[in-house]
Order: sequence, then C-alpha cells, then structure tokens
Amino acid sequence: MRRLEQDVLRMGALVENSCRLSHQALFEHNLVAAEAIAPLDKQIDQFYRRIELDCIQLITLQAPVAQDTRLLGAYMQLIRDLERIGDYAKNLADIAIKLFPHPPHPCMAQIEVMSLQTQTMLATSLVALVDLDAEVGRRIKQMDCAVDAGYAAVYDILAQTPLVCTNPSSAPSSHQTLEPFILLALAIRHLERMADHATNIGQRVAFIVTGQRG
Amino acid sequence: MLTPLVAFISGLSLGIVIWWSQRLHFHRQLTDVLNALPITAVGNYASLISNLRRGVRLSSQRQFDLESQLQTWQQLIQVAPLGFLLVDSENQLLACNTYAQHLLHIQNWGFGRPRLMLEVIRSYELDQLIEQTRRSYQPQEQEWLFYPTLADPDAAGRPAALTLHGYTWPLNDGRVAIFLENRQPVIELSRSRDQWMVDLAHELKTPLTSIQLVAEALHSRLDPPLQVWVSRLLQEVTRLITLVQNWLDLSQMSAQPPTPLATQQLDLPALIRAAWQTLEPQARQKHIALAYVGPETLVTSGDEMRLYRAFLNLLDNALKYSPPEASIEVHITPTATDVHISVIDHGPGFPETDLPHVFERFYRGQTNDPMPLSRSNGSGLGLAIVEQIILAHRGMIRASNHPKTGGAWLQITLPGHLLPTPNPQTTPP
Repeated sequence: MRRLEQDVLRMGALVENSCRLSHQALFEHNLVAAEAIAPLDKQIDQFYRRIELDCIQLITLQAPVAQDTRLLGAYMQLIRDLERIGDYAKNLADIAIKLFPHPPHPCMAQIEVMSLQTQTMLATSLVALVDLDAEVGRRIKQMDCAVDAGYAAVYDILAQTPLVCTNPSSAPSSHQTLEPFILLALAIRHLERMADHATNIGQRVAFIVTGQRG
Repeated sequence: MLTPLVAFISGLSLGIVIWWSQRLHFHRQLTDVLNALPITAVGNYASLISNLRRGVRLSSQRQFDLESQLQTWQQLIQVAPLGFLLVDSENQLLACNTYAQHLLHIQNWGFGRPRLMLEVIRSYELDQLIEQTRRSYQPQEQEWLFYPTLADPDAAGRPAALTLHGYTWPLNDGRVAIFLENRQPVIELSRSRDQWMVDLAHELKTPLTSIQLVAEALHSRLDPPLQVWVSRLLQEVTRLITLVQNWLDLSQMSAQPPTPLATQQLDLPALIRAAWQTLEPQARQKHIALAYVGPETLVTSGDEMRLYRAFLNLLDNALKYSPPEASIEVHITPTATDVHISVIDHGPGFPETDLPHVFERFYRGQTNDPMPLSRSNGSGLGLAIVEQIILAHRGMIRASNHPKTGGAWLQITLPGHLLPTPNPQTTPP
C-alpha cells in the first residue's frame, strides 16, 4: 500500500515535470524542453500501467476495507486523470513546436496565466492527495473557475479577430494563415482540460476522505 | 551415638557441597555478566560484586557520554548550513534539518506518522537520485532545478525555481543520507557576471569603433616614420574590436533562451571550402594545404552563417598551430543518423592537462613559439564560440590529440536531420 502511494506520487511528480516543460516550450520558446517531454510521457504511461495492475492485485488478494478500498478505487481513477494531464502536456509541446515560427500573439500573456493556474491546481491536488485533505480538494474546484474564465476570455479574443481579407488575385500575404489561431485555440482547450482533470483529482481526494461525492 | 553424628556430618558436607556448587555456578554467571559488559577494563578487585558494580557504573557513564555526543552531532546537523535528509529503505523521511526545511519549503515536519519523502518533497529527480544510490551502493551527486510547491495557491506568479545540488551517501539497511546545497546564488552570480560583461562590451564597442576611424584617418595623413606607429595602433584596436565582437556573439549564442537558428538547406563541403578560401592568403604564406576526405556534396540543414563561423574558427586555429608546409585534414563521414566531421592538424596538439578546458572562455593554447606573435591574434574565444554553435545545432564537439599526427583533433557530430525547417512561407489558398 505504501509502495503504491509512492508510485502514485512519483507519477504525479513526473506529470508536474512535463507540465513545466510544456510551459517552458510554449512561453519561453524552449524547443529542447519540448523534445524532453516525449520520453517523460512514456515513463508516465509505464507508471500508469504498473499502478493499475498493482491496484487490481491489492484489491483481489488482500480484500482491503473502508478507506483503503476507496483509496484504491480513487487511485485507479486518479492515475487516469494524471495520465491525461501528461498527454495534454505533450500535445502542448507539439503545439509549441508548430507555433515556433509564428510571431507571438498578444494574448500569450493571458494563456501563460492560465498555464500557471493549471500548474498550481495540479500541485494543489497532489498536496491534497498527500495530506488527504478534503477541504483543499474541494477548493481546487474554485480555482478551476479562474481557468474557465481565462479560457472564455481568450476564446473571445481569438474568435473576434477579424479575418484580414486576402484577395487571391493580389500579392499573397503569406504570413496571414489561420494556423496560429487554430493552435492557440487548441492550446487553451488543452489547458482547460488539464485544469478539469486536476479538479477531478481534488474531488477524488474528497471522496477518499469522506466517502461522499461532489 | 555415632550414627546421628555421622548422619549430621554427612548431611552437613552434602549441604556444603551443594552450597559450594551453587556458589560456583553463581560466580560463573556473574563473571559472564561481567564479561558481557562492554567495559572490561575493570580493576582486579577482591570481590566480584564490586567489580561488577564498577563495570555497570562505567558502562552507564559511557552510555551517557555517547548519548550526549550523539545529541551534539544531531544538533550540529540540525543547524548545518547545508540541507540534510535521511530516508529509510521504504523512502520514508527519517530526518530533515532546519536548512532543508527552509530550502524545500517543508512546513509541517515532525508531526504524526512518518511520511514518505515524496509526500513532503515532490521531486522526481531527488527520488531517482536516492533510488540510484541504493541500487549502486555508491555515493552519487546531481544538480537539478527544484520548483517548490506554492504555499498559498492563490498567490499569483510562479515560485522561484532553485538550483539544487544533491550529494547522496548509502547507509546500511537501505537507508540513504542526502546533503543538499543551494546553488542558486552561484548561478545568479555567474549570470550577473555574464550580463555585466555584455554591458561592458556594449559600452566599449562604440568608442573603440571611433578610435578605429580616427586612427584610419590619421594613418592616411601621416608620413612613414609616424605611420608605423599608427599602424600598430590600428592593429591593436582591430584586435580589441574583434575581441569585443566575439564576446558579444558568444553571449548572444549562449543566452537563455537561445536565439533561434536561421535554419536552411546548405552544402556542408562547400561551406568548408568557402571558409578555407577566406583563410587562403594566410595558408599560402605558410604553404599549408587543405586535405579533404569525404563526399563532394552533402546537403544538410543548419544555420549557414553560424556554421561558416564555426568552421572558420576551427580552420583558423588549425592554421595557426600548424608548422609550415603541413596539411590540415578535414574528414566528413555521413552515417544514417549523423554527420561526423573531423578537423586534424599537424601542430603540437593540446597539452594533456588543458584538454578539459579548451572550450572555456579565454582559453588559449600554449604555443612553443617564443615569439609573442600568437598573442596578437586570437581572443581565446574561438573554440568557445564553435562549441556554442555546435550545441545550438544539437550536435556534439570533442577535442583530443590525433594519435598519428599528434596535432589537435576536433571531432564534431551533427544530427543529420537538424531542426524541422520552419516554413512560415505557406502559400495562401
């Protein structure tokens, strides 16, 4: 049980690392960081599979009771969330590589705030897991609202950018493509999903402690 | 009359024998106890009991001394200006001194059940370091960036990352001791030193350029005896300007985040030939030829200007240290994934002791040449610039002495598929 907890925390630390790397890739134009994520993601997947197996073994072989059962059940769900966050971090790094040649968009600063909030949420959810603190677990839900608000705000900015009419017959304005906008929209979408998964982790912690949902 | 006396005596002697044997037994037991005491240096007292008493007193005295010693050490570790952690075989944190608590932002330490190291310090790197130490049973050290968890999640902004240097020491029973050093001040200091140098170089560049212009103007208006002096002046000013420019280039290349490369398709052998052509006049003076072995053309992607600069520096170095009428060898060997490039000269090579330092800034090889000529050119930044360029291309560079020629041997490995060529020039629909 102790070893399992340790593996979950290890996986959490790894996911946190990949979030940080994706942040560096996106906002500090650090392509080396972007490339470092792929091997991390592989490790995260390995952890995911191992922890899942260990959980099943523990449930079948040792028949745990009450809080332990909830803990195991929650772990199995929670590592799924962690793994998804790791995947999104990898996708963000891919976006960073594609976004690299384009000039930075003015709403990058807002997206950066979103990314920081998401990372804080992930860190807080892991702290909640460590301390088994239902209160902190629930508080993450409020933090999620901030990220959602950021998502809506950036979405509006992106959606209301007027299309510069490119006349096909005139000189091609080559740098006006939709790509950066699509990438940015995807980036905020990923960040928003990451925040949601972090919220889920927080709620699962609340479930472990109290046995009640929501 | 006799029978009761005999009975009494025999009874008495039996009693004495039993008593004696018991006493002997007791004595032996006491001696065993005495021997079991950790302190055997007991004076030869008449009675065993006083021996024993003394032994017990001494050993409890010893125990007290040891305990107070242990306490002193524990206190010292507690106040040491170095982070100290101790984990057991299950990675539970057993000890954590004040400095480590402060460094790693550990708040509620020392309450309740023993906690896992990862519960308190969520650092995958530290965990791996401990694991590695336990597996190899060898002390390890590593440096990594630690991001403390926000104490107050509502606080905006990011907590400052710390550069930590960890030293581990394996103990028995799978326990591992870890010493943590905060390298952040050193890193910041070296960063501010670099920044200071860049600022200084910027400030120097403008007046130096004016001096150069004035000197050039003077040069054309002076007559031969004085003109020589001004040419000396010009030469030195040019050298100074090159140095400052090199320094600025180097700082720009090693800046964080690095300035992006202007990647494009280029022909590597042609690039090297172009660099050689620039040096041709100097090479002709010393009758040095370039011996190139490799494919005629090899198209790869890279930053043309910077790679040109790198090869110019390498060939210039080789030329500088080559004896007259020698040749400089350049080999290019493409493999499936990489391109290997070797630059070999017939000079004296690097001194063995300098090999680890050749890529450091302001490194300058010791030439056997007694003339101070080598001082007048070369800024000691050439190889540092080459290294930065190669690293920016995600390649590797290694310096050694060639076993056959005895001269310097620079081996470069460039990844065959460099940066995915950014293609901003997408055609509109």
